[in-house]
Amino acid sequence: MYLLMRCCYCALLALLLNFGAEAATPTLTVYTYNSFTSDWGPGPQVKKAFEAQCDCNLELVGLEDGVSMLNRLKLEGKNTRADLVLGIDTNLTAEARATGLFESHGMRMESSALPKPWDDELFLPYDYGYFAFVYNREQLKNPPASLRQLVEDENGPTLLLQDPRTSTPGLGLLLWVKKIYGDQADSAWAKLSPRIVTVSKGWSEAYGLFLKNEADMVLSYTTSPAYHMIAEQDRRFAAARFSEGHYQQIEVAGMVRSSQQKGLARAFLQFMLSEPFQRIIPTTNWMYPAALGQASLPPEFAQLVDPSPALLFDDKLVAKQRKQWVDEWLEVMSR
Amino acid sequence: MNPRLIPAALVLGLLAAIVVAPLAGLLNLGAMPGYESADLQFWQSAYLRRVLFFSLWQALLSTLCSVLPAILVARAFALQPSFPLRGFLLRLFALPLVVPAVVAVMGVVSVYGSDGWIPFGRSLYGLGGILLAHVFFNLPLAVRLLLPHWQAIPQRHWQLAEQLDMNTWQRWRFLEWPALREGLPGVLLLVFMLCLTSFAVVLTLGGGPRSTTLEVAIYQSLRFDFDPLRAVLLALLQLGLCILVASLSLRLQRLPEVEITVDAPTPTPGPRIRPFHLALILLAAVYVAMPLLSMLLDALAGPLSKVITRAALWQSIANTLFIGLSAALLSVSAGWFLLRYSASLALAGQPGRARLIDLAGSIVYVVPPLVIGTGMFVLLSPYVDVFSWVYPIVIAVNALMGLPFVIRILGPALRQNHARYHLLCQSLALSGWNRFRYLEWPLLRRPLGLAMALVAALAMGDLGVIALFGTPNTATLTLLIYQQLGAYLIPDATVTALLLLLLCLTVFWLLERGLGGRLDA
Repeated sequence: MYLLMRCCYCALLALLLNFGAEAATPTLTVYTYNSFTSDWGPGPQVKKAFEAQCDCNLELVGLEDGVSMLNRLKLEGKNTRADLVLGIDTNLTAEARATGLFESHGMRMESSALPKPWDDELFLPYDYGYFAFVYNREQLKNPPASLRQLVEDENGPTLLLQDPRTSTPGLGLLLWVKKIYGDQADSAWAKLSPRIVTVSKGWSEAYGLFLKNEADMVLSYTTSPAYHMIAEQDRRFAAARFSEGHYQQIEVAGMVRSSQQKGLARAFLQFMLSEPFQRIIPTTNWMYPAALGQASLPPEFAQLVDPSPALLFDDKLVAKQRKQWVDEWLEVMSR
Repeated sequence: MNPRLIPAALVLGLLAAIVVAPLAGLLNLGAMPGYESADLQFWQSAYLRRVLFFSLWQALLSTLCSVLPAILVARAFALQPSFPLRGFLLRLFALPLVVPAVVAVMGVVSVYGSDGWIPFGRSLYGLGGILLAHVFFNLPLAVRLLLPHWQAIPQRHWQLAEQLDMNTWQRWRFLEWPALREGLPGVLLLVFMLCLTSFAVVLTLGGGPRSTTLEVAIYQSLRFDFDPLRAVLLALLQLGLCILVASLSLRLQRLPEVEITVDAPTPTPGPRIRPFHLALILLAAVYVAMPLLSMLLDALAGPLSKVITRAALWQSIANTLFIGLSAALLSVSAGWFLLRYSASLALAGQPGRARLIDLAGSIVYVVPPLVIGTGMFVLLSPYVDVFSWVYPIVIAVNALMGLPFVIRILGPALRQNHARYHLLCQSLALSGWNRFRYLEWPLLRRPLGLAMALVAALAMGDLGVIALFGTPNTATLTLLIYQQLGAYLIPDATVTALLLLLLCLTVFWLLERGLGGRLDA
């Protein structure tokens, strides 16, 4: 069995090398997260559509998440194979900028669907979303109408959260609470704490537990119910609209300075903001496309809650304060 | 010079290359300008003290809760050598170790969650939940590892005990405990390490940051904080803890005196069918089977055909098999050479050094794969294209993680074998391949088969460093499960998890049977 597998592997390797040798077409290497490259993510469709127009080979390398991408880039420095990095979010852009490894894209974002005009020189957004608490309408009849109500009501719904030390939504909620409560954030967490069933390492664990009915609400995205509506024809799930607004997450891509394929990289960024790419996003990444009007979204997206106003800290502030804020959170939550 | 030194030195060198070099690489990176080094404040913080205390506390409790009952259950299995489904149950007991942590958490919640069969409600989340999950993982493993020690008791001893009309307590005292004593410390240590490094289970079922272990802190410092120095120091701290526990637990160990006997291990004669033993086995089986059963039911209700018809699934199955089998072969070979060397040292009257070598192989498990992987990356990436090295690296790391299991399973049998036959072999000038072919293989094929099977299954279920390196086309089944979970495809993930379990069960069965011969367990 082992020998057989080894033969398979050698054959596969030979095949790959062979392809590599023959390929006269240039290759554009993009670091992204592996839910982007997975079978049901945007990756396969994006690859097909871009290769059809660029006469090149698009290599999507799936890493664990935005943080791993950035760390990978830091480790590789100028020797990186990546021409582009796609999938870091606005909480990481300041750190990414500080590495000095990115090059300005020199483009203008014309048809932005984002609530605020985009003026970042290094990064371009491809999609965005809002954090929200998702619940089952049949189980929870009166969801809280604001973050304050969720925090203050001692008999409020039970919650499943993610850890800000290990997950993006977890960090999102931390910033959301900070945005609303400022210096009082720790007392807000103290009030919330008894109703938190558990805090998981990543989004998957918490969402899985939520679907197993372990708590009334789970920290996720305003767009999560769209998945259940479109893919499962299940209308039970909804995101609670909070009147203070929802914390925003914008996912961006940036061109790597050391890239040998800058022309192709720019072409990809242009493609990223064009309709064919943008139309793939809603039902594969389950986020709002950054350059596509509301009218072009699947009809189910119109039924999602209105998350305005969008809340977002300046990325430099997040980079500077994150460690301290997480420590504060830990202090309260470990009591 | 001892001829066994060379292969053993090679293995030790490999160990060093895989563990020490990456750590050094990371340390060097941490010392480079541009990376902030770990601050003194962190090392004196109450946070670290709490994390340290909790890591130890939960690991100790989990170990005791897993291994003590496992002794009773293994004994019951040993004294009841034939009853229906015995072989199947023992194979079932190899499965929990394979289940990816997230899936196991879901399984545990299906059974004990608020909608579960035995609802615990909110009280599930905390030390209770951690213990439930850790016992699910480790009790069956401990049973599998302890059982051979009963089988190593020669038939004659049981007959003698019968003739002397020994009661249960006397048998335990004079027959079973001495046999168990060699292996028990190793099993305790292994389970302790598994619990100490447990991550997703502890965080999720532990109810949040109160249940932070060192592993979480390492992960955090290497990812979000990107502080390689701190990560390495924390990893060394974890390693140090394990060495401490190892040296304590190995004090308990007493190597059996050499006895010249030609008995091949035989199943012990069960004096009588004892309802008490069967009840114990039933209880353990139900405990282990419930989460697995709930996973099975979930999967059967899931989109079976949709998952199976995906090309990506088959590619992942091929990758998983390749990694699992290669890692098992590498791990067992490495363990073999290491153990042969330590056995010859022990025979030459240097048990201390022998123990040290065993220890080196046993505790590498606690250096987190994330640290090893990142370190290797730092070392390799300037010189080679890491993408084409993904398979060798993943296999090497998995083999390393399997080494402690190989040493636990193969060690006692190999040591005994060496002590009994080494002089005979020398006088017959039987050595090298012939010695393996005619002497060692027939007598050691059972533990070899079990070790291969267990390491293969372990490597197949491990997320490993694949997720860290990330390349196109190298998804394993475990990675596929995580991808599906991350894309709302939770029903698909349950189906994939079931397929992973079936695959592991098959490989386990084939290896254990194929290599180990027909004797069950």
